[in-house]
Amino acid sequence: MRTEYSWRYTTLGLLLTALALFIILQMVRIQLSPQAQVFRDRGAAYSGGWRTIVPARGEIYDRWGHLLAGNTTVYEVGVELSEVENPSTIALALNATAGADYDEVFSAVSQEPSATAVYRVLADFVSEEQKARLEQLAMEMEVAYGGSNESNRPSLAGLRFVPHLQRSYPEKDLASNILGFVNREGKGFFGVEEKFSDLLAGSPKTVWIPLDPNRVEEIPDVPPGASLTLTIDRAIQTEVQDILDGALVTSGAEAGTIIVMHPQTGEILAMATTPRLDLNEYWRYNEVFVNPTPFNRAASKSYEPGSVFKVLTMAAALDSDTVKPNTPFLDTGVFEIGGAVIHNWNSGAWGPQDMLGCMQHSLNVCLAWVASQTGANTFYSYLQDFGIGRLTGIDMAGEVPGRLKMPGDSDWYEADLGTNSFGQGVSVTTVQMVMAVSAIANDGKMVTPRVVKSIYDKGKEYNSSPQIAGMPISDETAQTLTKMLATSLETESSDALVEGYRVAGKTGTAEIATPLGYTSSATNASFVGWGPVDDPQFLVYVWLEKPTSSPWGSVVAAPVFQDVVERLVVLMNLPPDDIRKRWMNSQ
Amino acid sequence: MESVQRFTHAYSQAPWRKQLQLIGLFLLGLIIVALVAGIYLNVTARAATIGRSIQGLRFDIEELERGNADRESQLAVLTSNLEMQKRAEDLGFYSVDSGEIVYVVVPGYIERQPLDLDASATTPLPRIQTLSPEYTQSLFDWIRERVFEPASPLAEGRP
Repeated sequence: MRTEYSWRYTTLGLLLTALALFIILQMVRIQLSPQAQVFRDRGAAYSGGWRTIVPARGEIYDRWGHLLAGNTTVYEVGVELSEVENPSTIALALNATAGADYDEVFSAVSQEPSATAVYRVLADFVSEEQKARLEQLAMEMEVAYGGSNESNRPSLAGLRFVPHLQRSYPEKDLASNILGFVNREGKGFFGVEEKFSDLLAGSPKTVWIPLDPNRVEEIPDVPPGASLTLTIDRAIQTEVQDILDGALVTSGAEAGTIIVMHPQTGEILAMATTPRLDLNEYWRYNEVFVNPTPFNRAASKSYEPGSVFKVLTMAAALDSDTVKPNTPFLDTGVFEIGGAVIHNWNSGAWGPQDMLGCMQHSLNVCLAWVASQTGANTFYSYLQDFGIGRLTGIDMAGEVPGRLKMPGDSDWYEADLGTNSFGQGVSVTTVQMVMAVSAIANDGKMVTPRVVKSIYDKGKEYNSSPQIAGMPISDETAQTLTKMLATSLETESSDALVEGYRVAGKTGTAEIATPLGYTSSATNASFVGWGPVDDPQFLVYVWLEKPTSSPWGSVVAAPVFQDVVERLVVLMNLPPDDIRKRWMNSQ
Repeated sequence: MESVQRFTHAYSQAPWRKQLQLIGLFLLGLIIVALVAGIYLNVTARAATIGRSIQGLRFDIEELERGNADRESQLAVLTSNLEMQKRAEDLGFYSVDSGEIVYVVVPGYIERQPLDLDASATTPLPRIQTLSPEYTQSLFDWIRERVFEPASPLAEGRP
């Protein structure tokens, strides 16, 4: 029996062996065939996907840790085409809740799903509330029509929500001119958002994410962007903005700028300008900043400062020993220089004066004479040392250098020496003026203004230190001029005086150049002041553009300085001079 | 010769016994293969489960980070200058003028310090290998580690 059936076993064994060999050969053939790569590619396409990990944008804080710019979750709304039941409902719901265009959404959702049409983005930057409304709608529709078999029953099936972060500004328009904003593509515009955009944004990384859980790998750490701490004090910024807004109403000025800086460190404590933008609605930029309005007038708009510039003229003359505080000058009301005739602000003659009187009465004739005595080369050399006509290097985007015509320039004439001495014919930014005047308030040491106090990046904090931009004048000159300006304010009972605190300062009223020449009907009213004079803790610059209640800086800008300082001494915990001196003496 | 054949025959195993041994060996091999396959399936299934949970945890981390950012922004809105001012006014407070302030010397008073992000930040967690070596190293690596790299005698004493 064994021999009878053995051939059958042998045949079956051979057949099975042949089948096994055939299978092995087929496997080898497929592996080596040209189509093998196609299969491998197809397999690889489903094995995972490349994903770009965008780090959270760094936060921005004020000097005390109040959040000025953070991040909030928003959603990309998309649709899985294969799951869509009713395109019309989806288009209608997105139009009603997220303001998406009905036709666009309908056409996107109506696509037939295919290998190339799987998922479509319908809307982005949808807020948490809008998402909740859509989910509520979806749920209500499911409850109401879920059991229906009708082909066109209302349904939001297929909707997907993909979360991501978006910039948010909890303080809305507070310090908006300093911060700038970030658009939906993550690009920073203006202020520190633009200046430090790369640092704040961090470094995105693209990584392969396998879908096969057996091949799961660690995702590399993508640290968030660097965070910034600003020198701004939120409380001071708020007060200064409020004071500026009030000053525009009372003075009828078109626009205004107030800067508060610590003159010893260069830290900007507040920088208020108009107009301002709620940064959460940055798309209204074109409505708010009608061309050519700069985003931050303090750094991006230059102007002829007028008599506040006399501070620099007098500083140059005192430091070069051209004049002393008691140098006499006979004001005849007229001074001719380079063919131009200079008059005083009231076109009057003020008779015998000394340098203190010249500053106190803001006499153009006297200061033009002082500049002529100083000499063009010396005068302009000092102005250059004060940083006039150059960028200050403030850590914000959009700074402009202004314009200082120099001897040797094709458009410089000797008459410019006279007009420049009282701040006409020279254009500066308020940031430049603040830096230049810091030399007088800070014993001759001129500090670079800065708004960034520290940068926190990858676990390390980098503090910025005061930058001495130069020493254009001696400490003796600075102290002498400070005393002169304090005395002049006290003598004329200026509206800038603050009870209990000795401050120094200077008003400025500049005519505005028009295509037809200078006009007295439109002026730039300014005031620069600092205090307490024996240990300055604040330097305040006020600029009101085209005030209508009065053209004079002494009338419209000086009271604003007073208002600011009255709030500053409270917010900065600065006791009155007599109390402070008593404490110092007791120690 | 015949005696040798008789001797061999006497001590040779019966054919059915040889077949039984062969079947036994085959079954033993089959059991070993099944055992190895079972262990392999068990390990890969566990690895896949853990891999899937790692993927899930990764999404959780992202969600938590977004949540943190949201909470911080919401807190900032609730404590914004405008809100705090409004709340203070509602409670009957008002902005004080410089003339209303009484200055007193407070020994040991430390004035408010500016923000120090380095100090306020939580200590960053050390980077931890998500997958333990059992899931990444080969058998050969494991043997080499155990045989050729004995543990440091100081390892026990480390905190």
